[in-house]
Amino acid sequence: MTGNAMPMVPADLGSQLVNVCSMMLLVTSFAIVAQRRLSACVDLFAVQSVFLAVTAALVAFLTGIHHIYVAAGLTILIKAIIIPMILKKVIERLNVQREVAFVINIPPSLLICGALVILAFSVTEPVASLGFLLTKDSLAVALAIVLIGFFTMIARKKAVTQVVGFLMVENGLFLGATAAAYGMPLIVELGVFFDVLVAGLIIGIYTHRLQDAFDSVDVSKLTGLKE
Amino acid sequence: MTAGAALVVLTLAPLLAGLLSLATPTRQAMEWLQGTLVAVLLVAMGLVVGHVASGNDIVVGHLLRVDALGAFMTLMLAIVGGTGLIYALGYMGEELARGHLGYRRYRLFFCLLNLYLWAMLLAASIDNIALMWIAVEGSTLAAALLVGFERTKAALEAGWNYIILSFIGIALALFGTVLVYYAAEHVLGVSMEALSWSALRRVGPTLDPTTMKLAFVFVLIGYGTKAGVAPMHTWLPDAHAEAPTPISAMLSALMLNIALYAVLRLKNIVDQAAGTAFTAPIVIGLGLLSIAVAAVFMLIERDYKRLFAYSSIEHVGIALVGFGIGGPAGVFGGFFHMLNHALAKSTAFYAAGLVLLRHGHKMTERVTGLLRQDPAAGGGMLAAAIALAGMPPFGLFISEVLIVTAAYQRHPWIAAVFLGLLALAFATLLAQVLPMILGESLGAGQHVAGSTRRFTTSALIVNIVALSSLGFYMPGFLRELFIPMIGLFGADVAIKIP
Repeated sequence: MTGNAMPMVPADLGSQLVNVCSMMLLVTSFAIVAQRRLSACVDLFAVQSVFLAVTAALVAFLTGIHHIYVAAGLTILIKAIIIPMILKKVIERLNVQREVAFVINIPPSLLICGALVILAFSVTEPVASLGFLLTKDSLAVALAIVLIGFFTMIARKKAVTQVVGFLMVENGLFLGATAAAYGMPLIVELGVFFDVLVAGLIIGIYTHRLQDAFDSVDVSKLTGLKE
Repeated sequence: MTAGAALVVLTLAPLLAGLLSLATPTRQAMEWLQGTLVAVLLVAMGLVVGHVASGNDIVVGHLLRVDALGAFMTLMLAIVGGTGLIYALGYMGEELARGHLGYRRYRLFFCLLNLYLWAMLLAASIDNIALMWIAVEGSTLAAALLVGFERTKAALEAGWNYIILSFIGIALALFGTVLVYYAAEHVLGVSMEALSWSALRRVGPTLDPTTMKLAFVFVLIGYGTKAGVAPMHTWLPDAHAEAPTPISAMLSALMLNIALYAVLRLKNIVDQAAGTAFTAPIVIGLGLLSIAVAAVFMLIERDYKRLFAYSSIEHVGIALVGFGIGGPAGVFGGFFHMLNHALAKSTAFYAAGLVLLRHGHKMTERVTGLLRQDPAAGGGMLAAAIALAGMPPFGLFISEVLIVTAAYQRHPWIAAVFLGLLALAFATLLAQVLPMILGESLGAGQHVAGSTRRFTTSALIVNIVALSSLGFYMPGFLRELFIPMIGLFGADVAIKIP
């Protein structure tokens, strides 16, 4: 299926544009890991989602697969506007904006994330040759973002930062689906968006209840259930 | 055509009942509504299974397709989900009558439970691995609210751990799914077809083996987290212990199996592309590790709900070893094990729930003489414990023997390790559970109302009857499902089924 026409822009320029955009997603992932302030983490996540939408729109434009535009629009709406708004509300209500709490400090975190990027590139290296000309490196970048998201979930203590980590994972997955595989069918993407939205709501509900029960959203205080 | 209609009913009825249950005014209305749902599910499932057992897949539109494996899952979901709903009517009704929860939350509970069943029924009947993922994710979301339903500190903590771990797992599974799509596009084009498991299975041998291997690793770790496979099992004991007991039963009996189902669908395709030599060692290794971890933790566990949770990890491990070994005996053993485990483990949790209602605590050592104080709970737990320990006359004995035999023929050392671990798990489980059942009763605890017992006892009886009859007798329709299921996993010879 490499026969997809790229009508208006030469292939190498298009491919470079997509690469630059997906690299920006990776850069914002690092910025989130390096961030101390909780609300800034949420802002950076919104910025990352905008880059994701731009990447998707570029792929849609270059390949002529129009339904990816829908996904790009939904990304802006849900991930760059609605979810950051919910998270900001949570932060305000819980009064936790002070600082991100670390299990692992920023400098070692950045080193570990660097190692994760190398890991992602080496894991996907044998299958990259299958990729479309337009988006050869995107699969590796996508996996790198997924891994950094997981790392954020483990290495940060506040429930909100764990949520941002989870959403970064989602962004990485979406990048993988859009850029590496030219988008999943529309019904699939709609379903995934719906699930992400509901997941965001449920996490919001949980942080609220955790706050009520523990007077804290510091998940390192959740230690009642040890063996 | 009736079979198609039955399938549509099966995939819509729980959704409808879930929405309706939010509008029911009284406990009695809820009992009627859920009772009707159970009846509808059983009839629709009967039609679906009957049709598939006669040798035809059911296809509705482009998306719904039920083959023998799907029908098998549907059977399990409808029967165990049905007794689960009945049991929940008793259990949650008792909580309502005691004033532990208000009517609104009672209503919400059944709404969520119905949506949870709905998501799993969809997952088993959709011919599309990405939509299957969405359905499994949907069941995770419903379960996330159900695990933390009691809103105690411990329940919220368990719920949070469950959310974080299962979201990580499910995200990995989606990455694996994207990789499959990435490989399939080159064969089937950028289309819905490139996600359909029936189409993928057909073109399996032409898919890029390296990509498919990578995809399998992601899918196995991802769905494996939801199936409670060690070392990704850490959410499972907490969630099972803190969730309302009917949910503990549904998690163990259904959720773990639907996650295994998702792994098996993908394994089936990957085996076409890359051969079983790649998947078998990973699957067997994780299976043995799960049994080992579970056997050790069962030894030191002091909480009977957590004990049964670890036992679920053990049994998922046993089924995985069966699928990993392969061959007719291994594959049949694995599937038969899944079905019997679903029945036995839900029985165990139904009985455990009655103990919890009476005594209000979960400490194994403070419960004795169950058989005398509450014959239904005691009898149920005794039957379940014997079955779960893998003793005759129950089906789990048959499947374990089959898997050991298959393992012995291929790799005797796997059979040796497997048997050793099984013996350890056998001893630890019985040593923990038998003292609860036998001996002098320490008093019956709180009174459980007759209106509750009506439901809980009937759920227990149905489960015990199904569980013990499967140990002696294989119904014809089940045999007709197993033969194509064994064929699906590459075994040419159909075995003689007892």
